Parts: sequence; C-alpha cells; structure tokens
Amino acid sequence: MARKCQDPLKIVGRAKGYSKKELIEGLRRHSNFSPKLVQQIKKLPEAFLRNSGTPLAKKLITMMREISKEAYRAKQFTRTEINNRGVLYGVVNLKHNVMDIVLHYFHERWPQCIICLYNEHNYRTGIINEIGRIWEESLSLQDLVQKISENRSIIPYFEDIQFSGKEIFEEHYKSQNIIERENPKYFSRMIPNYCYELPGMRNGIEKRYSSRNRNINEFI
Amino acid sequence: MPSILEKIRVLGSNSKYDICASTASSRTEKYPKLFRNSKNWIGATAKAGICHSYTPDGRCVSLFKTLFTNKCIYNCKYCFSHGCKQRLSFTPEEYARTFMKLYSMNVVEGIFISSGICGSADATTEDMLESIRLLRFKYNFQGYVHFKCLPGVSQFLLKEAIGLSDRISINSEASTKEYLAEIAEQKDFNNDIVKRQRWLQQIRIRHNEEALKTMKDLKQDYQLAFQEKMIKERRKDGYKKFRWDGAPILNGGQTTQYVVGAAEHESDWDLLKRIDWQYREIDLRRAYFSAFVPIEGSPLESRKGTSLTREHQLYQSDWLLRIYHYNLNDIKEILTEGGNLPQGDPKIHCAHRYFKEHGSINPNDASYQDLIRVPGIGPVSAKRIINLREQKFKFNSRKDLKSVGVVLKRADPYLTINGRNQTTLLNFLK
Repeated sequence: MARKCQDPLKIVGRAKGYSKKELIEGLRRHSNFSPKLVQQIKKLPEAFLRNSGTPLAKKLITMMREISKEAYRAKQFTRTEINNRGVLYGVVNLKHNVMDIVLHYFHERWPQCIICLYNEHNYRTGIINEIGRIWEESLSLQDLVQKISENRSIIPYFEDIQFSGKEIFEEHYKSQNIIERENPKYFSRMIPNYCYELPGMRNGIEKRYSSRNRNINEFI
Repeated sequence: MPSILEKIRVLGSNSKYDICASTASSRTEKYPKLFRNSKNWIGATAKAGICHSYTPDGRCVSLFKTLFTNKCIYNCKYCFSHGCKQRLSFTPEEYARTFMKLYSMNVVEGIFISSGICGSADATTEDMLESIRLLRFKYNFQGYVHFKCLPGVSQFLLKEAIGLSDRISINSEASTKEYLAEIAEQKDFNNDIVKRQRWLQQIRIRHNEEALKTMKDLKQDYQLAFQEKMIKERRKDGYKKFRWDGAPILNGGQTTQYVVGAAEHESDWDLLKRIDWQYREIDLRRAYFSAFVPIEGSPLESRKGTSLTREHQLYQSDWLLRIYHYNLNDIKEILTEGGNLPQGDPKIHCAHRYFKEHGSINPNDASYQDLIRVPGIGPVSAKRIINLREQKFKFNSRKDLKSVGVVLKRADPYLTINGRNQTTLLNFLK
C-alpha cells in the first residue's frame, strides 16, 4: 500500500499525468472550472492526482487534455490574414480560456504586428500588441482591424504580400497529393471530423476531400 | 507568361515524391537572431514541429514544397521530367513572396526548396539561394528552411546554404554506384553525392564551432563546451550520440532519400548497409525511403511500383538501427535469401531469433539492451523498468509491466515473470 502511494514521477523517473501545481494553474482555463475544484485538488496527495485509474484524476486529466488540445488545434488550423499596416487577424472558436496561448504563438511569429483573433464562442476579440500586452475588445473584427490600422504606417514588405493566397494554397495542396498512396483512414485520424467545425477549416480544401463519399446535399 | 498558380500546380506536383516529414527545429529557442540582428524578424520554428494541413494520403502539408525549376539537364529514369511537358521556373522574388503570403495565412510552417538542374548545378543553386536570401534578409524570415542540395554543387555555395538553412538533404536515390548508374546514368555517386555529404558534415561542425564562439554573451564557457561535445560525441558503433544536438547552424542536420525499388535488383540489405555507413561516417540525421511509383512517359513506366509495405519495413529497420541501437548484423540474420526483409515487423523476427537462442528473459534482471529487444518494450518503457529496479522494485506480475507501458500481447512470449512464461496460443500448439 505504501508503495502505491508514492508519486510515480519519483519512482519511475517520468510519468503521465500532471502535478498538483500544473493542475491548479492549468484547470483555471477550462470552461467548467470552479474554485471548489482547486480546494478539492489541494487536499489530495500528488500520487493520487497522477494515477489516471482514479475517477477524479481521470476527469482532471481529461480536462487538462481538452485545454491543450484546443490550444494546439487553434495553432494548427487558424487561418489568418495580414494587412499592409502589419495587423494580423483571424477567427477562432475557443471554448476554454486559451486565447493568450494562441495569441502568444502568433506573437512569436509576427512580433512587430498587432494580432487580433475574434473568438466566435464569446463574441470578443483578443488582441496582442508588439510588446506582448494582451487585452480584449467587443468590437467586430472588421471595425477593430480598421481602427487599429488607422494609427499605423504602411510596412513595405507587408504591402508586397497583399494578394489573395487562398487559391495558391488550394493549388499547392492539390499538387502534393499522391493518389497511389491515398489512405482515408489515416487522413481522418490526422484531421478528425470535429476539426472541420473550426473557423479556419470550415471552408478549407481539406473538407472537400474528407467528405468525398458523403451525402450529395452537403455539397449544395 | 505562366501564372503563379500554374507554376505551383506543375512544380508542386513535380516535387510531391520528395519526402520531408519534419518541420522541427530547436534553433530559435536559444538563438533568436541568428540570421540578422534585426528587430523586425518574422517567423519561428517549433521544437516539435506543427502540421497545418494533411493530404488524403495522410502526409502533412506543412512546408511550401515545390521545385524551383523543372528544367533539368539530367535524364533520370524514374523522374517525372519524362512525362511533364511544361517547363517552368520561379523567379526568386516570386518564390519568396508566395511563401510569405502562405506563411501569413498560417497554412505552412516553413519552406522545402528543391529543383531540377537548369544549365548547371551552381547556377540553379545560386537562384535557389537568392530566394532564401530574400526570405532571410528582405522579409527577415527566421522560420524553418529545408534546402535540397543539387548533385555536383560547389563547396562555396554549400557553405552558404548551410548557414541559411535548418536542414539540408542530398538525395542518394540508390545505395551503390552501380544501382545509381542503372537509374540515373549521368550522376556520379561518389563525386556528386558522397563527396557532398562529407562536405556537409565537415562544414556543419566547423560552422558550429565558430558560431558557438561568437555566442559567448548568451552562454557560459562550460555550456558552450558541453554543446560542442554534444555536436561531436559518438556512440560505440560510430553513430552520433545525440541526434538533436542543439547546434545553432543547420540544427536539423542532413538527411537523404532513396527511391526504393527503382533499381531492379537493389535489395533491402544494400539500402540498410548504405544508411548504416551514412549514420557512422557522415552524421546523417535520418534516411527517407520513397517507394518507387512508375511515372507515365518515363523509361520505367512499365515497371511495377514498389509496395508501401517494403517502404514501411525499411523505416522500421532504420528505427531499430537509430533508436534501438541494433547492430546491422542483427538485421542481417533475419533477411531472406534475396537480401530483403521478411514479411512482418523486423523487430519481431529479430526477437524470435534472439530469444530462441538465449531463452526468455526476466524483467527483474535483464539488461537494457535485452529489454529493448522484446517486442512491446521500447526505449521509454525499458528505461522505466530499469529506473524502477534501481528503486528496488520487483516485477511480480504482468500487471506491473503493463503499468510501465509494456504492450503485453507482444511481449508475453519473450518474458518470464516469477518463473512463469505466458505463451501465445501459437507457441503452445507448436
């Protein structure tokens, strides 16, 4: 019994699951988070929380995974646009409170841009500026981008890429497929059906391939 | 004048058989301003890579992968160029702008630049480099670049490419001089390929030594010495000890690709021998295998395509060499008379042979090397077992093994726990 209560991280060297600290910090982002949950976690031993066999730990681990999965899918499948004044914008659908993670991901890539991501879930837009300060606005994305752009000058190399890229990506995507190697099962594992509900993928070219054998009404 | 879309359609489909599975690079984390000390840099690399889309064959479309030009002086028998009537080229400016547009849409993670050889290898490489220079210095792009080195390119161009890229690859295509001559008679295996691979290895080490010296403000002396050691250190069998060595220059190392089955009598043994040599001698990061697909209009049009199973088995064997530290002779023992891998997982074949000779093992006293020979036990679970044993933990049941991640249905026949061996029905019938 004593052995079973030890933290697997200590005895195995590496373990699945999350530490108490990680859970307390991470679960705050979940849409179903309540302060009672933190109180409950604080009372429990570390080993109990890491053991995915216990129902509560299982639930907590699932909640943590939902958070990281949502953030990762947003990084993968959010499609953005940039204007000539260095404002990068796009639409996301985030149920959990992971907007800052997604904004930081784009900020790392476009540090001199202002990034605006409209969250369809709560109808608010998350913004991150050049110095990494994050805030939210309730204006529509279009108005907000216009408002921010007014105070910024034109940046030449963003001016250079002011053309439509949708067709370019679609052509590139189509050109990469090797018909002889087609593997629908693997394809659907890589892009599960729920990903097509994400704003960036709703009208994406990937959907045309995934829904090849579906009801014709879906195409109309 | 062909449009960009037309160029992408043709040059993209011409490059679709080139494999580049990874976009991972740990470079920017430590050296964010490597290419230019500018505040306006754009882009980043992800340590584990990110896939922004997948094609119906399940491969990720994370790199802007097209040829720079499909005009080519070579006449390789397996190549698309026989069937493709349109000859097109990007201009460096066009290429860089198109990529930046796609990057701003968050649909690609980086660039994979390859090309046919238009005029000479040096002239084409110069154009390709011009595109990368534009990306790095005009658009200040700091993200992932995979540069394909053309056969016969000069050393000074290679040097520059190494300084600007995350990964460089030179396609070996075949395992020996003779097999390469069979499918691409104009290419010289030793001079065009092996010599360039050796250059890459040497220049990478030299570049990194210099880069580490100039980064003294970022790290302490002992940290730099450790990093240099990581770049150079080797295993007993001659392979690099650290596959991801954290090098600031060419972080992704060099890779290569083989067309499996294009040369008629080339066996798996030939390929495995060659990659084993490349891992030991030229610090190859990894090898890619592309099953041969006959292309309409090419001289090999009537040849049957190679099965994807063969490609998969080669990847499995490659994994055994690199990750499981198997000796090449362990794999040699399981080969068929023709020198090919037998049907099924090579690890199971190796295990069957090894444990028939040595008997099943007890996880409580087996060595790490013995443990990872058991199917269902990988490096991670083997390390967990060893760590637990160091804590004086005894494995008394199969359940204990399951809890550290062992796949029992595969591992059972080769393990003895508490003096008992859980055999399979098949073994029982035998």
